[in-house]
Amino acid sequence: MDFLLLLVSTGLVSGAAYGLIAMGFALVYKSTGVVNFAQGELVMLTAYIAFSLSNTFHLSFFPLILVTIPVSMLIGLTLERIFIRPMLGEPVFAIVMVTVGLAVILRGVTIMIWGSEPFNFTAGLSNDVIQVAGVPFYPAQLYLIGALAVVSLLAWLFLRFTRMGIAMRAVAANETAALLVGVSVSRIHAFAWMLSAGIAAIAGILFAANFKLVPDLWFQGLKSFPAVILGGMDSVIGAAVGGLAIGVIENLAQGYVGQGLREISGFVVIIIVLMVRPYGLFGNREIERV
Amino acid sequence: MRTGHFKERTGQLVALSDSKVVWGWTVAAIAALIVLPFVIGNYQLTLMVSALIAVIGAVGLNMLTGTTGLISLGQAGFLAVGAYTNGILLADYGLPVWISLPAGGLVAGLISIVVGIPSLRLKGLYLAITTLAFAFIINHVILYAEGLTHGPNGLFVTGAKMFGIDLQKGKPLYYLALGLTILTILGALNLSRTRIGRAWMAIRDHDIAARVMGVDLVRYKLLAFFMSSFVVGIAGGLLSLQIRFINIDVFALILSIEALAIIILGGLGSIAGAVLGAIFLSFLPEAIRLFFETFGDPQSTLYTSYVYEIRGIAYGVVIVLFLRFKPDGLIGVWRDARKYWSNWPLAY
Repeated sequence: MDFLLLLVSTGLVSGAAYGLIAMGFALVYKSTGVVNFAQGELVMLTAYIAFSLSNTFHLSFFPLILVTIPVSMLIGLTLERIFIRPMLGEPVFAIVMVTVGLAVILRGVTIMIWGSEPFNFTAGLSNDVIQVAGVPFYPAQLYLIGALAVVSLLAWLFLRFTRMGIAMRAVAANETAALLVGVSVSRIHAFAWMLSAGIAAIAGILFAANFKLVPDLWFQGLKSFPAVILGGMDSVIGAAVGGLAIGVIENLAQGYVGQGLREISGFVVIIIVLMVRPYGLFGNREIERV
Repeated sequence: MRTGHFKERTGQLVALSDSKVVWGWTVAAIAALIVLPFVIGNYQLTLMVSALIAVIGAVGLNMLTGTTGLISLGQAGFLAVGAYTNGILLADYGLPVWISLPAGGLVAGLISIVVGIPSLRLKGLYLAITTLAFAFIINHVILYAEGLTHGPNGLFVTGAKMFGIDLQKGKPLYYLALGLTILTILGALNLSRTRIGRAWMAIRDHDIAARVMGVDLVRYKLLAFFMSSFVVGIAGGLLSLQIRFINIDVFALILSIEALAIIILGGLGSIAGAVLGAIFLSFLPEAIRLFFETFGDPQSTLYTSYVYEIRGIAYGVVIVLFLRFKPDGLIGVWRDARKYWSNWPLAY
C-alpha cells in the first residue's frame, strides 16, 4: 500500500509537469489550430533564462516566477511575430512544420548559449522534506502540483469570464465568425502564444527545480503529447487532467510492470486512446463536409 | 510561335517523360554517376553514398507524406527497423546480403502496417503524433530486447559479401546504393502514374471525397504505409552497411525531422523534388563546415564543439525559410526558372 501511495504521489508530481506543458500546447492549439512542436523548447529556454536570472539577481522563488513570466511572454510574442505571423493563411501543415523548425533552432541556440552540462537549479526552494499524509515530499514537488492547480483554475476563470478569454473561445469555435463580430484574430493568436510561453516558464522553472536543469529538458515537451491527446487537443483543462493521469500511469507501469516501460507507457496509452476515441477524451468531435 | 507544350496522345500523357532533352540529361547524369568514383576521393565517395541513401529514404517518405498526405514523424523508427533487421540477419545469422537487405525492407513495411492501422481513423496532426509515439516505442523495444538487438551495446554490421566482393567498401557500396537509388526512383515514378498513385493523390486531396469515388481507403492507406516503409527500410539497411556500427542513438528524433525537411525543401509530392532536397540537405552540413573553417580559429572551434547544434539550427532555418518564401520547394524554383526562360521575353 505504501508502495502504491508513493508511486501515485510521485506520479502526480511528474504528471503535474506534463499537465502544465500540455496546457501550453492546448492553449495554442485551441486558438490557432496549430500544434506547437516548440513548446518543449520554450520550456527549456525559459528554464535556462530563469536560471541565469536567479544567478544574477539571487531571487527567491516567487520573485523569480514574477520576473521570468513577463520575460518569457515577451519571447513568446517575439517568436509568434517572427515565425508564425507571416505564415497566416498558409496550410496548417506548413505552420506546424515551421514550429518543428523553430523547435530545432531554439534547442540548438539554447545549448550553444548555456552549454550541454547539467546545472543544479533550486529556484530558491529549500530541500527539507515535508510529510503530507505520510508521504514525503520535497517543497519543489508540492509547488509543482500547486502550480498546476493554480494555473488550471486561472485558465478556467480566464476562458470562462474575461473578455479576452471569451474572444479566444470564439476564435477557437469559428475564426471567420469571430473576425466578423470584431474580434482581432491576430491579436488573439499572439496572446495565446504569450500565455503558453508564460505557462512554459512556470513548468520549466519547477521541472528544473525538481530534477535538474539539463539540455534534454525539451524532450519533456514530446513526452507531454500523451497528456494533450488524452485530454483532447482543444481542451485546456483536459490537458491538465490528462497530464496527471499520464504521470500516474507511467509510474505505475514502471513500478509494477517493468523498468523500461516508464518512457513509453504514455505513448502506448495514447495509441490506445486514439484507436478508441480519435478526438481525445475531452475533445470535440469534428464533423466534416466534403 | 510556340505557345506552350501540348500533349496530344494518351501515350504522351502517361509517359515518364515525353521530352528527348530530359531523357538525354538523365542518361548523361547516370553515366556521370557511374564514372564518379574513379574521379573523386574516398571522403567524397562516403558523402555521395550518404546522399544516395538520403535520396532513397526521401523518395520513400515522399510516397507517404507527399503523395498520400499522411504526415509521419516516425521515419527514424522505420529506418531503425530496416537497419537492425539487415544488421542482425547479416552479422548474427550469417545470411547473404541479398536476403537481409530486402528482409529489412519487408520487416519495416510489415511493422508500418501496424502503425498504419490507427491512421485509418486519425488525420493530420493526430497521426503525426501517433507515428512519433511508434518511433519511440520501436526505439525502446530495440533498447530492451537485448537478446536480439544487443540493446545498448549496439550492433556491428559486417560480412556483406557478394561474389567475393566486400559490399561495405567504398566503390562496391557506392554502386549498390546507386543501383538501388535508380531502382527506387524508377519504381516511384512508375507507381505515381498507376491506379495506386492516382488513388494516393485522391486520398491526399480529400479522403472522404476519394472514398465516395470508390477508392478503398483501408487498402490504399495501408499500401502507402507499406510501400513507403519498405523503401525506407532498404535505406536503413544501406545505412547500416555504410556506418557498420548501429545503436539507437543513430535513429534519434532529429532524423525524422531531417527526413521531413528534405521533402519540404524539395517540394512536397514531387519525386524529383525529394531527390533534389536529399542531395541539398546531405551536402548542407559539409557546406556549413567549410563555411566555418574559412573563418579560421575561433569560429571553427565553435563549430567542432557544437556540430549537432549548428546542424540542427541549419535544418530549422532551412525549413522555416523554405516554408515561408518557397512553399513549393526547390522543384518549384526550378519550374519557375524553366517557365521564365521558355516564355521569355513575355512574363507568364
